[in-house]
Amino acid sequence: MANVTITDVVKNYGHLEVLHGVSASVADGEFVVLVGPSGCGKSTLLRMIAGLESISDGDIEIGDRVVNDLEPKERDIAMVFQSYALYPHMTVRANMAFSLKLARRSKDEIEQMVNRAAEILDLSTLLDRYPRQLSGGQRQRVAMGRAIVRNPQVFLFDEPLSNLDAKLRVQMRGEIKALHQRLGATMIYVTHDQMEAMTMGDRIVVMRAGVIEQIGTPLEIYDTPANSFVASFIGSPSVNLIDGVVQTQNNQLVLQADDGAIWPLPSNVNVKAGTPVQLGIRPEHIYLDPAGLPAEAFMIEPTGADTHVQLRVGKQLLIGVFRDRPDIALNATFHVRPDVSRAHVFDRVSGKRIGA
Amino acid sequence: MTTKTKAKANARRTLALDILNHGALALVALLFLFPFFWMVSNAVRSNAEVLAIPVRILPAVFEWDNFAKAWTTLPFGRFFLNSVIISVSVTVITVLVSCLSGYAFARLKFPGRDKLLMAYLATLMVPGIMLIIPLFLIVNKLGMINTFQGVILPVAFGTFGSFLLRQFFLSIPLELEEAARIDGASRLRILISIIIPLSMPAIGLLSLFTFIAQWNNFLWPLIVMTGADNATLPVGLTLFQTQQTTAWNYIMAGATLSMIPGVILAVVLQKLIYNSISLNAGMGGR
Amino acid sequence: MAVVERIAATRAVTRKRKNRLDRGEGRTAFFFLLPSLIGVTLFLVVPIIASVVLSFTNWKLLGQPQFVGFANYIKLFTADPQFWPVVRNTLFFTFEYLVLNIIISLGLAVWISSLKMGQRWFRVIFFLPTFTPGIAVAIVWMLIFAPGGFFDFVTGSLAIHLPNLLTDQKLAMQAVIIVSLWAGVGYNTVLFNAALDMVPASYMEAARIDGASAWDRFWKIRLPLISPTLFFGTVMTAITSLQVFDQIYVMTRGGPGSATATLGYSIFQKGFQNFQMGYASSIAWVMFAMIMALTAFQFWLQRKWVHYDN
Ligand SMILES: Nc1ncnc2c1ncn2[C@@H]1O[C@H](COP(=O)(O)OP(=O)(O)O)[C@@H](O)[C@H]1O
Ligand SMILES: [Mg+2]
Repeated sequence: MANVTITDVVKNYGHLEVLHGVSASVADGEFVVLVGPSGCGKSTLLRMIAGLESISDGDIEIGDRVVNDLEPKERDIAMVFQSYALYPHMTVRANMAFSLKLARRSKDEIEQMVNRAAEILDLSTLLDRYPRQLSGGQRQRVAMGRAIVRNPQVFLFDEPLSNLDAKLRVQMRGEIKALHQRLGATMIYVTHDQMEAMTMGDRIVVMRAGVIEQIGTPLEIYDTPANSFVASFIGSPSVNLIDGVVQTQNNQLVLQADDGAIWPLPSNVNVKAGTPVQLGIRPEHIYLDPAGLPAEAFMIEPTGADTHVQLRVGKQLLIGVFRDRPDIALNATFHVRPDVSRAHVFDRVSGKRIGA
Repeated sequence: MTTKTKAKANARRTLALDILNHGALALVALLFLFPFFWMVSNAVRSNAEVLAIPVRILPAVFEWDNFAKAWTTLPFGRFFLNSVIISVSVTVITVLVSCLSGYAFARLKFPGRDKLLMAYLATLMVPGIMLIIPLFLIVNKLGMINTFQGVILPVAFGTFGSFLLRQFFLSIPLELEEAARIDGASRLRILISIIIPLSMPAIGLLSLFTFIAQWNNFLWPLIVMTGADNATLPVGLTLFQTQQTTAWNYIMAGATLSMIPGVILAVVLQKLIYNSISLNAGMGGR
Repeated sequence: MAVVERIAATRAVTRKRKNRLDRGEGRTAFFFLLPSLIGVTLFLVVPIIASVVLSFTNWKLLGQPQFVGFANYIKLFTADPQFWPVVRNTLFFTFEYLVLNIIISLGLAVWISSLKMGQRWFRVIFFLPTFTPGIAVAIVWMLIFAPGGFFDFVTGSLAIHLPNLLTDQKLAMQAVIIVSLWAGVGYNTVLFNAALDMVPASYMEAARIDGASAWDRFWKIRLPLISPTLFFGTVMTAITSLQVFDQIYVMTRGGPGSATATLGYSIFQKGFQNFQMGYASSIAWVMFAMIMALTAFQFWLQRKWVHYDN
């Protein structure tokens, strides 16, 4: 088992710099998720850890050993690809045994290790099939089997579930977590799906455009997003952001929105009047309250358990999530109360969180 | 007439035309095959009958053992063996060298890669007959006149194979290779265990066309193989042509032998051949 | 200041060290390319250069080569009585062979594609000579054309009075062309047939619904649609036909007289019978120039008749 330390890592493709010096560390046995929008450099970073891309600057250590110059095979890692990358001309058994054969393990040993991995992943009956004879979920499992046979120190996953249908995705999510608990190995998992990140990661690394925006546990990131980007990227539906300027009213700080409306600010926020800010209110922190602000619903989307309502308060468009089936009619007026104590305030220029 | 009977009459007419169309082309094809027939027919008669005037379509006496005689006495058996050795060696070397270089062009980063590839492509423009003289001088200088290596080596390093395999290798998903690297495979191991097994259609095609080109090659072995014992089948066929008492029947038997591998390959691998030519047709001139 | 410099220095050092992985790949590439590079250099690059150099010498295999400047070329164009007839023969062969080859193979391709059954077997039959040694083909045809042979027998029976083809100054080249056509139409037939197969059936159906006759459908739709392939076939056929050698070596040895002597045969004759290596090399370069010129001419011409979609 091993920890992974990334220090000031830069990646250039020719003159194009796609990673601008990122640093992060992953503890031994930890499950860390790299998340961010498509093209932000997650795969690039993961592939640099794997040794598939050279490191333009900075250092990557695995288990206290700088691996910059090491070939992938010298790094004691395994990787699961989005396309699974199963060898099409080999059976499931041969796919899983390939790395062991290259490591010159004995026949008996290989047999034993493949069977053990197959058992863990429930693949024992599929060992003599070819990849083309398997379903998507089964292929995914074989890809994981190929990773675990060798007992690597670190597992790397690059969007391994994005080719599966929604239901299977949820199931495999659970299986990967269970595998992590069973093996106790260090795992780094790349996804663009914030839901996967929230449910799977011990810690999450949020990236954007080649830089790391925030590192923290899922709830830390959700509850105290470091900036407006993280706030809107994590959470679904996305956080409501209201643009405005801080004003003093009745000795209290309030937000005067660009449309003129006045919104309350969290009481303890450390900001001066006149500062341009964004107020972030999560959809589930908007409550129905007959004493609240008048609102008008213009789209109602029931998901079964919850109901997503797109609504208008004055000229401000917001989205709210309500438990069960709230008594709201389309285009009719009702009243809502945003829970300002749990709202976030961001500097409008830098996007940075303004704390207490 | 009802529409039904009209339709029936129409159908019958189209059918008749169809049969006529097939029959006419079959006749053309039969005429086209005549030289093959004439070759075999003259291979199994006595030389006197070959030269007889007026000609006879079929031999009066079938001498099937002419094949055996041509094989041993002329000696087409020896020529056949020489042709096999040369064609197979050139094919094996071409495939090995092209796999290695094609892989480097497709998947390895190195400075000047694209320029080198362009240079390789440019050599495809040079017609083979132009290089005959300097190649002969080089082989002469290397002391390899009248040797197998002298015939084989100069034609075994064509650039076409590198280019063909590069194109095919590029179509194999990169992730397969990355998975193999992580599994601990070296580049050579990846080439042998992953890329080559997945490229069999392209390698088969390269082998087929290289083999046939060498099997049919004439001018190059004619120049290099100065000894009669080392002649290939095509060269051997011409050796006896100029003799006073040309044994035409044996030469026809030898010609038949020389055509057998190509005919078998053309029939057995017709699908592969058609598909590859189809690929050319699809890219036609672009 | 000092700190910045130190950081810059360590960056430079690490950058150098960092590229080891890339360099490893470069080294692998070098070893993978090595066999090919050695072969290509020795048997392709050196010969090309040597051929240029040789063409400016008077080397006769034995003895020392001497640099003679453009003497070989000057002799070719002004003094050698055989040269212009050889060029004429080559162009004559190329032109007649090329035109007939394209017409016949296109005709066969269209005919085959009109069949409901057995297309692939017809394709195989016409393709067979492509896979057989040109020398064997030429020898069989030589027997057919031999005086008193099968060809004379047929013309005699039909009461057509022709001199024997191989021994007649005018007709010998026709015999060579017939053999070349028999051996060469197969590839183009399959090529054009494959192109016709790729024309989407919907185009033809649409035209039929619009009331286009079979004649119009061929000239206005199928032919333009396969014209890029037709062009490709024409260029490749022209390049190979300018190099014609095997048939001539077996059937006529350039004769009778020099009626069938072509550039390819001249290179062989001058180089390997007279051992005039320098002179033969200059003929090879004239041939190369002709190949390039003809190809360029066809590329120029294609703008008038080849249709590319988009
Ligand atoms: N081989 C390459 N050459 C040039 N640019 C690349 C290359 N690979 C990736 N990039 C660029 O680097 C950025 C990050 O890509 P990637 O790491 O794949 O993003 P993602 O976060 O979606 O996995 C993208 O803008 C991409 O276009
Ligand atoms: Mg990615």
